[in-house]
Amino acid sequence: MLASIIASGLAVGAVYALIGVTYNTMFSASRVMSFTAGQLGMLGGVFGSLFVLRLGMPLVVGLVLMLVCCAIVGLITEFVAVRPVLKSLDQHLYVLSTLALALMIQQVVAVEWSTEPQAFPRVFGIGGGGILDEKFWLPVLTCAAAICALELLYRRTLTGLAFLAIAEDNFAARALGLPERNLRMASYALAGMIGGLAGFSGGQLLLAFVANGPLLNFYGFVPVALGGLGNNRGAIVGGFALGLFQQAANFLVGGIFASVAVFILFIVVLLAAPRGLFGGHLARRV
Amino acid sequence: MKITRREFAIGTAASAAASAFSFPCPAVAQTEPIRIGWLAALTGASSAPAIGFDRGVRYAAETINAAGGVKGRKIEVITRDTQGDPTKAVNATQEMISQLKVHAVWGPTNSGESLAITPIMARAKMPNIHPCVIDSLIDPEKFPNAFRTSPSNTQWNDAVRTYCIKVLKVKKVAVIADTTGYGVAAAKYSTEALKKDGADVVYVANIDATQPDMTPDMLRAKNAGAEAIVVWSTSTGMDARMFNTRATMGWDVPFVGHPSMSSGDIKGLLEKPANWEKVYAVGYRSCSYDANGKLPPRNEEFVAQLKGKVELSDTLLWWVAGGVDAINLIAKAVENGSTSPDDIIKYWNGVKKFPGYFGDYSWSPTEHNGYPGDDVVMSDASSAKNGAFKLAPGYS
Repeated sequence: MLASIIASGLAVGAVYALIGVTYNTMFSASRVMSFTAGQLGMLGGVFGSLFVLRLGMPLVVGLVLMLVCCAIVGLITEFVAVRPVLKSLDQHLYVLSTLALALMIQQVVAVEWSTEPQAFPRVFGIGGGGILDEKFWLPVLTCAAAICALELLYRRTLTGLAFLAIAEDNFAARALGLPERNLRMASYALAGMIGGLAGFSGGQLLLAFVANGPLLNFYGFVPVALGGLGNNRGAIVGGFALGLFQQAANFLVGGIFASVAVFILFIVVLLAAPRGLFGGHLARRV
Repeated sequence: MKITRREFAIGTAASAAASAFSFPCPAVAQTEPIRIGWLAALTGASSAPAIGFDRGVRYAAETINAAGGVKGRKIEVITRDTQGDPTKAVNATQEMISQLKVHAVWGPTNSGESLAITPIMARAKMPNIHPCVIDSLIDPEKFPNAFRTSPSNTQWNDAVRTYCIKVLKVKKVAVIADTTGYGVAAAKYSTEALKKDGADVVYVANIDATQPDMTPDMLRAKNAGAEAIVVWSTSTGMDARMFNTRATMGWDVPFVGHPSMSSGDIKGLLEKPANWEKVYAVGYRSCSYDANGKLPPRNEEFVAQLKGKVELSDTLLWWVAGGVDAINLIAKAVENGSTSPDDIIKYWNGVKKFPGYFGDYSWSPTEHNGYPGDDVVMSDASSAKNGAFKLAPGYS
């Protein structure tokens, strides 16, 4: 039982963590919590299944096309749901605009793809369904690779440093001549690819299923809230902790009560640390 | 007698009006088409049944019209896509009643929509037949205009319970359902009924259909000593995950329950085709193959008629048959009376063993559940061919 909890807990935790990073990547560039993050995860699975299984493309081609499509959805999010409301961030209009876009994505997928879950292709074909099956370790591996790539991007490249600059203070970054709008668009494209990777790597576990959108929207937001808004390390730790806790609750209390246990944990942590476990103290301007 | 020009003009106008509006009326009534409203969730969630029914509806209408119609009147099917949304179903119903002035309505095809529109149809006294399973949709006192052509939830439950206790002869049963309103209600009813019939319900669970790993619940059911698992869920993803988990656990417990377990969507979600064995889903004797691979004679002939005209490989035979039966039941009511609501309802209230392709329907003024309970059987879920299934082991 313990092995099962760890295997599936880490796997779904890795997917939640990547969705949390998707939220953070979009938030850092625009101060907007975009509720399309979970839909990007869902699209990763749907595009993967569409290109590889339905259209019969090689896996690598399917993966690349999935990344391109999710990046485009990220760009559309920036253009349609974020840019028009940036001037009035204090009114939180982005909640409506990003939720509306998320619903539109959901409806289009339901009508054009299917309302029933569809199969997702095997990637390496390793494991026979047991706890060493690729469906359990592939999301973890993908999450680790994505974190390393993001660290390299943010620490070792000029573009990455520019991302950090606009995340830190976009007025100052603009004053320094950084192309804030282009960097924001690039961030949304990057977020699209990270969300897509989450859905693709977890596709064998979650299947190519339209209902994964709202599921990932919520369970991907929990690690962000637990780890602190904009804090990727917090989201990763929060994601894995959530996955393990949820799976342990599934085994110990089961069914509907497992979801209740997740809600209770969420509320208790936020009561104890309102800015998340890894959130810093907000400096007050004087 | 002197006739003035004014009197002549008035008289002529009156004669013209009389000839225009009075005399042709009976002729119009005798030749106008029989308008049948068809409330179908053709797109969106849960559209598969309506797509199957729709093929039967079109086939039946074309066949009747090609043979000259009903008393010389053509059948006109007016379809509205409700997308499975009760609000859209309500709007379409009101349009059909007040603007399109249909003579009868077939549908909707899911219980959520039907719950919303049944009282509206009853107020308008609109003759309505539907295939929705929720028991409360049929009540001859409250809804004297509503008739059911499919089994009710109770009939499905009876078939599953009887199969577990009398055919599989199991004593310890686990009941697993999803967390939808339907799943919660079905699990509760099923558990109570199984206990009443002497079964020991050792485990009951409602699971979120998107839960990626079914091991926890399957393990608990196994540890509780379950000899069969009764499943009430419309989610094919949840079904397939349970079948895969059973195989990974090396457990050969049979699954018995909801028809979704026989859906073609499941095939692609299985890790191995063998994982679909020992799965018995609710089915119908009229649309099941016997040990010799034959359907009942009436439906052997029906499938032969459909060949090349109606695609059966991606749908279920009972959906197509149910669509044909619905149109035939309305046509027969008009043939035996008229298109007035009272005549149609009167005919349906007197129907005894109407020979449909899906079943032999019988209604009375006090019983509007028309499907014969004995014809609800269990099917071998993995045996689909032309939209029909083999009977599960234990039936002759």
